[in-house]
Amino acid sequence: MQKILLAILVYLMTSQIVTINCYSVEPDEFLQNPKKELRVRNISKNVRCLVCQNQSIDESSAPLAKDLRILIRKKIEHGNSDEEIYNFLAERYGDFILLNPPFKISTLFLWILPFVFLAIGISVIFLHNNKSRKLDYNK
Amino acid sequence: MKKKILIFPIILFLLILLAFFYLLIIDRNPSELPSVLINKKVPEFEAKSLLENKNFISPDEFRNETTLVNFFATWCKPCFDEHRYLKKLSNEKGLTIIGINYKDDSKRAFKWLKKLGNPYSNVLLDPNARLGIDWGVYGLPETFIVNSNGVIKYRLVGPITKKNYDAFVLKVKEVEK
Repeated sequence: MQKILLAILVYLMTSQIVTINCYSVEPDEFLQNPKKELRVRNISKNVRCLVCQNQSIDESSAPLAKDLRILIRKKIEHGNSDEEIYNFLAERYGDFILLNPPFKISTLFLWILPFVFLAIGISVIFLHNNKSRKLDYNK
Repeated sequence: MKKKILIFPIILFLLILLAFFYLLIIDRNPSELPSVLINKKVPEFEAKSLLENKNFISPDEFRNETTLVNFFATWCKPCFDEHRYLKKLSNEKGLTIIGINYKDDSKRAFKWLKKLGNPYSNVLLDPNARLGIDWGVYGLPETFIVNSNGVIKYRLVGPITKKNYDAFVLKVKEVEK
């Protein structure tokens, strides 16, 4: 049992190392101003790469991801706000490009449903427990 | 009463399972994205032309007849396969085809069109993918159908093929209705 746990631990640690190292931003893309560069990196982490759809453009080495990273840098240099950049991208590629889906009527179920299921689960457990307790008293 | 409550999660679970199973077996491409530009005006832009000395200005030049906007590149194999169907489409009456040469070498594009024939009434240059981003392009080739009011009505991701040609022509005819 201990060996299995150790193996799982080693796996988790190494996979973590791999994910830390796989950013794809190339040195020639960096902005001179470190504050602005940090903003770009933060935005890039929230933007989905549409070619390899489960990666952000910060992690993806697809050409489209690179084009979008460069575009975001240009927009930051132009003085656009983060909000404006997210809107610019969503207007062209849809909300799907945002890794954090916005809270809208169309995404209401997406946000609310987990809590609804949680409430149902808790109430089922609660009712069930209550009943078995009553049964115990009756014995 | 107790049994009834217990059966509820099982039914719910089966329903969810059924939904997943349905999504699994229906014919769909999960990586294909719907365009958010459908029923919107074409993006505003100005672009250099490969064949003319004059810049192309959007949306001004979109308001005559149904227009196809085809993103292509010489490095894209499916674009090569699609080319013959674009030529076939260029014979249709009342249809203009504009090519956007995406992230490509203009000399190579010129040679390519000379060799294969040119179905486009105008070829615009997009060396840094700026136009592609404005149109929400994420994989080549992509073809947009724009109606005579300059409104985008349909987007095809991937090439026009023997298989989807007839359906595509139908879509082209539908946009003016």
